[in-house]
Amino acid sequence: MAKAYTPGLLVTRHKKHRIMRRLPISGDVRVKINDQVNAGDIVAETNLPGNVHPVNLANQMSLPPADVVACMLKAEGDAIALDEPMAQSKGMFGMFKNTVKSRFEGTVETISPVTGQVIIRGAPLPVQVKAYMSGQVVSVSEHEGCEIEADVAYMQGIFGVGGETQGKIRVVGSGHDQELTADLITDDMAGCLIIGGARMTVEAIQRAREVKAAGIISGGIDDQDLKELLGYDLGVAITGRENLGITVIVTEGFGEIAMADRTYAMLREFEGRVASINGATQIRAGVMRPEIIIPLESVPPAANEGQFEEGQLEAGRLLRVIRDPWFGMIGKVSDLPAKPHVLGSGSKARVLEVTFPSGEKAIVPRANVELIEE
Amino acid sequence: MTNIDPDQIKVILATDCGSTTTKAILIQYVDGEYRQTHRGEAPTTVEKPFADVTMGVVNSVTEIAELADRRLVDDDGRIISPATDTEGCDIYISTSSAGGGLQMMVAGVIAEMTAASAKRAALGAGSIVMDVIAANDGRRPHDQIQRIRDLRPDMILISGGTDGGTTGKVVQIAELVAPAKPQPRFGSDYSMPIIYAGNKDAREAVSEVFDEGGFDLQIVDNLRPVLERENLGPARDKIHDIFLEHVMAQAPGYEKLMSWTGAPIMPTPGAVGDILQTVARLQDINVVGVDIGGATTDVFSVFEKTFNRTVSANLGMSYSISNVCAEATMPNVLRWVPFDMNERELRNHVKNKMIRPTTIPQTREALMFEQAVAREALRLAYKQHKEFATTLKGVQQQRTVGDTFSQQTSGQTIVNNMTLDLLVASGGVLSHAPRMHQTAMMLIDAFEPEGVTMLAKDSIFMMPHLGVLSSVHPKAAEQVFDRDCLVYLGTSVCAAGQPKAGKSCFKYELTGDRTASGEISGGEIQLLPFEEHETGTITLSPARGIDLGEGAGKKVQRSVRGGTVGLILDGRGRSLTLPEERSSCQATVQGWLDALDVYKEETEPVGV
Amino acid sequence: MIRALVLLLVLLGFQPAMSHGETLSLSGPANVVAEDVPNDVGGQVMVKWSLSPDDRVLKDGSHGVIGYVIYREVLPTAAGLESGAETPAGQGYELGFSDDFDYEANQPVGSVPYSVNQFLDENVDAGMTYVYAVAASGVGNSFSPLAVADKPVVAEMQYLNLGKLWFFIIMMLISIVIIYFVFYAKRGGTIKVRPIAGLEAVTEAVGRSTEMGKPVLFVPGILDINDIQTVAGITVLSNVARTAAQYDAELKVPTARSLVMTTARETVEAAYLGEGRPDAYNEDNIYYLTDEQFGYTAGVQGVMVREKPAACFYMGAFYAESLILAETANSIGAIQVAGTAMPSQLPFFVAACDYTLIGEEFFAASAYLSNDPEQLGSLKGQDVGKIIAAVLLILGCLLATLATVVPDSKPLRMADMYITNNILGEDGLVPNELKVAILDGELEQLMEEDQDAQPAIDGGGN
Repeated sequence: MAKAYTPGLLVTRHKKHRIMRRLPISGDVRVKINDQVNAGDIVAETNLPGNVHPVNLANQMSLPPADVVACMLKAEGDAIALDEPMAQSKGMFGMFKNTVKSRFEGTVETISPVTGQVIIRGAPLPVQVKAYMSGQVVSVSEHEGCEIEADVAYMQGIFGVGGETQGKIRVVGSGHDQELTADLITDDMAGCLIIGGARMTVEAIQRAREVKAAGIISGGIDDQDLKELLGYDLGVAITGRENLGITVIVTEGFGEIAMADRTYAMLREFEGRVASINGATQIRAGVMRPEIIIPLESVPPAANEGQFEEGQLEAGRLLRVIRDPWFGMIGKVSDLPAKPHVLGSGSKARVLEVTFPSGEKAIVPRANVELIEE
Repeated sequence: MTNIDPDQIKVILATDCGSTTTKAILIQYVDGEYRQTHRGEAPTTVEKPFADVTMGVVNSVTEIAELADRRLVDDDGRIISPATDTEGCDIYISTSSAGGGLQMMVAGVIAEMTAASAKRAALGAGSIVMDVIAANDGRRPHDQIQRIRDLRPDMILISGGTDGGTTGKVVQIAELVAPAKPQPRFGSDYSMPIIYAGNKDAREAVSEVFDEGGFDLQIVDNLRPVLERENLGPARDKIHDIFLEHVMAQAPGYEKLMSWTGAPIMPTPGAVGDILQTVARLQDINVVGVDIGGATTDVFSVFEKTFNRTVSANLGMSYSISNVCAEATMPNVLRWVPFDMNERELRNHVKNKMIRPTTIPQTREALMFEQAVAREALRLAYKQHKEFATTLKGVQQQRTVGDTFSQQTSGQTIVNNMTLDLLVASGGVLSHAPRMHQTAMMLIDAFEPEGVTMLAKDSIFMMPHLGVLSSVHPKAAEQVFDRDCLVYLGTSVCAAGQPKAGKSCFKYELTGDRTASGEISGGEIQLLPFEEHETGTITLSPARGIDLGEGAGKKVQRSVRGGTVGLILDGRGRSLTLPEERSSCQATVQGWLDALDVYKEETEPVGV
Repeated sequence: MIRALVLLLVLLGFQPAMSHGETLSLSGPANVVAEDVPNDVGGQVMVKWSLSPDDRVLKDGSHGVIGYVIYREVLPTAAGLESGAETPAGQGYELGFSDDFDYEANQPVGSVPYSVNQFLDENVDAGMTYVYAVAASGVGNSFSPLAVADKPVVAEMQYLNLGKLWFFIIMMLISIVIIYFVFYAKRGGTIKVRPIAGLEAVTEAVGRSTEMGKPVLFVPGILDINDIQTVAGITVLSNVARTAAQYDAELKVPTARSLVMTTARETVEAAYLGEGRPDAYNEDNIYYLTDEQFGYTAGVQGVMVREKPAACFYMGAFYAESLILAETANSIGAIQVAGTAMPSQLPFFVAACDYTLIGEEFFAASAYLSNDPEQLGSLKGQDVGKIIAAVLLILGCLLATLATVVPDSKPLRMADMYITNNILGEDGLVPNELKVAILDGELEQLMEEDQDAQPAIDGGGN
């Protein structure tokens, strides 16, 4: 094999992007095919069944479970208010009646003669699904959701925390290798997506949160800073549900590492535009990477997407080493030896030779590089 | 399923459809015994854009066909079976863990009793247990319901109550599951399979609960008919059935694959468990097997004919590496590394490995660090396994007055390192270590075997294939397991107790294909050359307070077998303790590594 | 007899008559000293005197003095005026005893038999000034003249009992140790408590009941709540109830005392509330059977046979019913956990039950179960106290034995004496001079005896 498949992160100036917006359970879809939607629009909504509260009436009334049904003042399906009498015992000679009031509000779902348990279901919880990406509705599945499509510029990050949000792109700092520090963030950045260069500090993230920025994107982050931000040491890279009030996306990795030139240039180009971002990352089977989506008003002319086939490792391609000792360095493939090499660790692996801009050459296992799409 | 006379089976083709690669092996009857002859590999094709698992299978089989020069796939892309002299195979079998394997939720009344039995049944069947719901799990009912709602298991196993025992609690559990309306992972059009394996008196009431709402309730025998006895067989079988009927049928291409196989497709871990059980039964030994993956670590054990399996989710070498470091703590990982490392940089490296899980260590330092992490991951996984593999809880005890001061609770672990005969390692970091010595050292450091234990590794992760084979042809499975599947690393002789540093720990005398004798002192580890296919008898005389299998200070005689590493004599004591102080810890570890020649420079390294 | 009396009369004849109404035929005691007893609340005065010369055996075998009579007068002091009621009427405020002291009319504060030369008056009021007098009494209402103490005595109250200083030191030591361990535990230090299988088994037993759909039976013994074992039993009950609430198992508690029932109800209700399951609490499950030992036993047995509980707990004081209950529950296949401090019942429980808490374990249960740092700390502190006691005990025994074996070793004798009288006794920090003097005397005597014996040995050697 003269070529090897080494996928990198997708960073593209133009892509027809289609997203699926689904309800967790069936409900109402509020858009029609061909509707134009904005990122913040609600496209579907439903009510989740409310929380369930089991009440053990048999014990509360000192009754055998089978007798509970006869004592109920409410039937299955009845609505019940807080402190409303729910059941009453027969008492003795019509006296000493024991009444149990409901401690929950909702509807009586079931009355079990086996357990003596009454299940009250609370008020339904409304769930709304937003469009997330501005675009056109291209398909609607009734009661389930819809698909939205748009022409976008699309960038994948390597890792993120926090969920879906959108905001205006705002580049701070002077270049792709400048560290993103707190002093670069100003009060007028509320609702913005702050774009930095290299490593972002935890102070910068905190500051961005203070000014109510929607998101913050940069090349790298220190593990220690991430731990401080989350309040715990992240064990498994499954994120997206954190409640930080800000979405954080790292495009390259952990440590002091600059954002890839191309990504930075693209973000700079789109400065001022509204983008949708999602920090959700899942690195398991079915990989999910954080994304930055910038809807385009007009489709750019088909640019020369490079002379290389996507994902193919060939001599001359630009790549990034993603493991020490040359972690983060960018170079060009100069040779692809066919035979496996013995590494410093003693293992045998297929390698490639990379030439760094300084002219220095190095042998790196193919598993430890990532292509940079040009 | 085709029923073939085992004696007529000469050519066996087996595949394992993993989440990333499909591995195929060919087993042939050569010179009166079954041998694994060829193997092939191809990427798994479950996900888009291929969405047909059989493509990967055919690709991997084609590779074998080329190597073996035997036509195995016909022009229509089907596997040829039965075999003729020159083409096809007598039986084709397969396992699968594609798409994340079999994921289950289990429920029982008491977490330590019926719920634990349910978990054992599910794990034994090869599934991943996403959560265990029990009446006493400390969660409020609505939290439990929320959890059930959030999970998307392939099926749910409900147990609870002994036969004639509680009905109310079991129905309560059912009443939690039914309103939560859990959604199956694949496809919304099929109903959630629920296996009920609890109190037989509650069957009717449970059926009523699941009457409506789109459930597919299956009732099997109670897995805990009395608290004193577990009956996991029926539930396990039912899980396999449902796995095939529902779960597999939903995955793209599996229907076709199922029509090809001569035995039911099994979940990969379930098959690994089966082969270990078969071997333990046929050779009458206690076995521990471990499979350390990128995300999870599976530990299997067969002690006194009782099989246990645990899955330590989030203890793995790539996706979960960061979690291993967090759980074990960095100092615990670093104690195995005999040099200083910058902790901040290290933490970033760990996280980078987590987000880019496919990278491999290039330098020796990186390798040593990764193997240090592996030791901790294995140690934690084995600890979890010991806690889970216990005798049954909730059992009445028989006492005499003699027990006055030695009362013990039930539910003690059945894992006993002293009686362990065979320790089998598999999974990338163990089976692909550049030197076998590293694998052996990692196993000894993490599992801390005691007495005389055989160490082996699964050469090319063949255990799943052999697991399925063992259900069709146990003899062939065992032969291949012994001859081709396992690479024997050697035998470890480890002293239990706390020997004094520098003082004599035990004396040994080896006779047989090789003779040697000497003395091991406390804190010392030694490697004796003892090659593969060499056998012998070792006589051990431990010092006072040191146990090598027959009790403290008692003489031991055992037959031993050589391996690619040799005979390892370990006088470091159990439990293994390392000096607290960093520099003396480094020196100690370096001493051990040198003694076993763990990181020897074999060839001129490149790129360092 | 008559001759003796005559002799006495002759001897005493020249004595001037000091009182009237009685024969003053005896010679009186001398050197009367009244002292305040130290280290008390001021309620005691020690009176001492030297014996009367007549206090001896007469020729006819009788005693010249039958005993001594002690009299007391209250001296008016500034503060003592109110207590003038104790002053004999018509005595005015004169100091001491009148010359014409009437032995009959005045009530003595006490009397002692012959040969005794001291009297402890335990009936004085702190702060009052007293004057004491002692007279020897003889046959036929005869008395000696009053020997009056030369100094009045004030019974004083001491705020500190210095004699028990050692007790104080040991107490402080143990308290400090306890406090230390409490803080240690609170700061997150680990205090290891040996696993007590019986308590570990609570969850298992209750779980078994839940799985089998059978109740849990808790028997809190047959004594009332004032017995410490019942209290300890209730502590365990609280834990069992918490587990039962978590597991939603039915808990039945038949009691033999009404007060125990009330306490048990409170405890169980609190436990259910604590677990957030007030709805699962059923008061009727904790009920009173009878005070009658075997009536109760029969009742509990009835419950066992009818309801077949899957777990039975016996925590408290048990007598003959122990084995009856344990055997019955064993026959229905229940897991049984017993805990008692009744030594005679322990073997029965051990043999018939699955788990047994023995004595101390039973009392340590509450600290063990709660894992509360304060309780754990005090448990550990108490253990240190026990170690101190054990060390003193062993040391004392050893020294006492050695002191007997080697009687002429002064250091040994002194150490033995110090432990006996100072650490365990009431002599305070410093050894009592008198006792030291006595010891010295004894030792000297021993030396002398040794020296006496020496020549004989030497002679033997020649």
